[in-house]
Amino acid sequence: MSEPVTCPVCGKKAKTGSAIDCARHMFGTGDKVHRAWVEAQGLSFIDLLIEQATTPGNKSYIVLAEVIEKAQDKSRP
Amino acid sequence: MNKYSVINTHVHNVDGIAKVTGRAVYTFDVKLPGMLYGKILRSPHPHAKIVSIDCGKAMEFPGVVGVVTGKDTLGVKQGIWRRYQDLCDEQILPIDKVRYIGEPVAAVAALTEEIAEQALDLIDVHYEVLPSVYEPLDAIKKEAPEIHEGFERNMNVTRHIEWGDVEAAFEEADYIREDWFKCGGQAHMCMETRAAVSSYTPEGKLTVYHSTQSPYYTQGLLAGVLGLKEGHIRVISPYVGGGFGGKFELDGAVFCSAVLSMKLCRPVKIVFTREEDFIATKRRTPMSYYVRTGVKKDGTFCAREAKVFTNGGAYTGMGATALYLTGFFHSFPYRWKGYRYDGYRVYTNTLPSSSMRGFGAPQAMFCSEQQIEWIAADLGLDPIEMRRKNAHYEGYEVPGQATIASCGIDQCFDEIQKWIKEKGPLPSNRSIGISACGFMSGGIFNWFDSPYAFSSAVVTINYDGTVELHVGAQDIGQGSNTTMAIICAEALGVKVEDIKVHSGDTDHCPADLGAWGSRQTLMAGNAVKMAAEDAKKQLLEFAYAQSGSNIIYDLDIKERRVHSIARPERGSDYFDLVKKVLRGKEGQRIVGRGYYTPHRKGMISPAYSYMLQGVEVEIDRETGKIRLIDSLTAHDCGQPINHLGLIGQLEGAFSMAAGYGYLEYMPYEDGKLMNPNLVDYKVIRATEMPKVPVAEIDTYEPAGPYGAKEAGEGLTNPTAAAIGNAIFHAFGVQMKECPIRPEMIVNALKEKKAKEKKGN
Repeated sequence: MSEPVTCPVCGKKAKTGSAIDCARHMFGTGDKVHRAWVEAQGLSFIDLLIEQATTPGNKSYIVLAEVIEKAQDKSRP
Repeated sequence: MNKYSVINTHVHNVDGIAKVTGRAVYTFDVKLPGMLYGKILRSPHPHAKIVSIDCGKAMEFPGVVGVVTGKDTLGVKQGIWRRYQDLCDEQILPIDKVRYIGEPVAAVAALTEEIAEQALDLIDVHYEVLPSVYEPLDAIKKEAPEIHEGFERNMNVTRHIEWGDVEAAFEEADYIREDWFKCGGQAHMCMETRAAVSSYTPEGKLTVYHSTQSPYYTQGLLAGVLGLKEGHIRVISPYVGGGFGGKFELDGAVFCSAVLSMKLCRPVKIVFTREEDFIATKRRTPMSYYVRTGVKKDGTFCAREAKVFTNGGAYTGMGATALYLTGFFHSFPYRWKGYRYDGYRVYTNTLPSSSMRGFGAPQAMFCSEQQIEWIAADLGLDPIEMRRKNAHYEGYEVPGQATIASCGIDQCFDEIQKWIKEKGPLPSNRSIGISACGFMSGGIFNWFDSPYAFSSAVVTINYDGTVELHVGAQDIGQGSNTTMAIICAEALGVKVEDIKVHSGDTDHCPADLGAWGSRQTLMAGNAVKMAAEDAKKQLLEFAYAQSGSNIIYDLDIKERRVHSIARPERGSDYFDLVKKVLRGKEGQRIVGRGYYTPHRKGMISPAYSYMLQGVEVEIDRETGKIRLIDSLTAHDCGQPINHLGLIGQLEGAFSMAAGYGYLEYMPYEDGKLMNPNLVDYKVIRATEMPKVPVAEIDTYEPAGPYGAKEAGEGLTNPTAAAIGNAIFHAFGVQMKECPIRPEMIVNALKEKKAKEKKGN
């Protein structure tokens, strides 16, 4: 079983420990440090948010979840 | 047979006589020696920089005693979400920028209200007008003006709720429907407009009379913006002429009167005009709702997705809570395998939106309950049976959010079905619409960051057996004092007339979060019950020692009689016992204490009420005019405590909800409200009210005092959708905007006719 995903910024484990839950946590928190981390990955926090707001489905969360997973993989020894 | 002596009996309001004889003193009536009268200068612009303010001429005007602007304040940005400082975004007298038409800019104190009013014209404000934006979907565009620094694309707050595998649940659906809805704002329309009298003395103490839903919140918020200790501020609020969610934040009346009083060391009174109450307070949150729902052919609900933009106006207020609650109650009262809600609160240059009776749920239900009706029609299913099939039940867990400990919705469906059947065939211009919903009994949230218990009560028994009940719960006209007196009398075993309720004074009453979110009966009621039981225990300990019974729990007090539970005929007088106990305690009065803070009650509330609203509506096909003919409310509110109060609350909720459904329209043009008066803004009147009979569904809620839960706010939620559903059944047209106005019906009928013609 894979390890639970924790927030790359504050270390919080989101509800189910999945990357998508972690993405929800990052959007929900939305403070300067979380935004800055998203921007540092080459994404626009606000554009992702607007995309999520204006189109049906879960696209932005999925995009961010993939980035979080990659970052988590990189940080593992 | 009623197993209680006082609960659910016909008890008249404990303050009823004072009110009907005019003895009750509202903030509006308060007069203090040397009192001045204040008036507020307001911004004529929706968005502008304040370059300069010259108060010189106003100060010279005969009768003017003082003028204040933002520069006379500490400049603190305040808000009720004290735990999240980003959301404390409002300077009530802004220093450098205004963000909506009607925002306070300066305040004058004078010998009379008329002089203060005239002096406003002499204040010279130089503005630099900025570009404005009024709709949330415009405000999130890249080119939109920035309303608050640091809030990119004016995105104020986001909220997300999700459970289950939403996409997989949609895959299971045989039928998917999506709709866009638009819900308008609504004015709180309290009989008593916002009002305050502030009196600051050179000792550094401030006394404030304030028309508020929570004296404790007023005290805490004022301490923050004025730089005073909470204990140095006394808030008195004995009678309040309505709140409806609009009076538990700081308003211009209390803030400006306090700032003026501190500057002048004289009492200052500010009472808003009706126009000010419309344009310069807060309102129900306007929302745009996208709803996608997936259902099986047999009517089983599979998945729902909702995306909501709310027009937040210029400041946050309570809007962040409304944003969460609308998403949560949009799922109610049904079971969804997959549910996803994305809510976005957007700043605009309009009147701030906030909480209002129903707290985001009326908007949610307008969209949800109409779409469900249309789905049932599309699938050829009975809309009531389809709802029943998917409804909550006792013991159901809303995934990750709440556990339903009591639920009488099934009986509500029975009552509504019976009512419809009894009506029989209706004339061709009349039809029936129904709508279901559920609501909370107080919120578990502590965004105010209060260190105190959510509710507290102190019961003191005097030598003559009379009882002083001190509560922080606030009576705002909903009859809270009466409900607390009933609970106290029942728990202590005395009569309501033995109880004197003290509320609305922070110097003498314990802290309490106040009257919002239908919390008082459950939360303050539990605290009162605990305090009364504590006092009773002290009495019975003494009685037990005298009687020689086996254990203390063999004794009880009922209807002023102390008796053995096993042998009720053996007993003695309550008043005699009290006298003996006081003598035995060297003259100390008996004091019982109670408090309540919810623990382990999920994400939202300790308990949920359920209800169904049926309305019979007559519609004029030519003009689109709606007339309400009849209604039935089926309501599960647990164990009713105050029977007359319950009926009054449900009638009031119905009138407010119906007004939202088809009358109370707030049109804005360039950020300006076009109908800020009671001639052009239509509220439902006595002649337009149908009968509002109630089918009480009594359940037992374990979290509530004696099994009680919410009544009176939840019913604001279903009515607009019920009216929409009646129109749908009459003409087959779908009303996607609220309030439903006559021209919308006429246009929908024209469109339908044109389509039919084209089809033929």
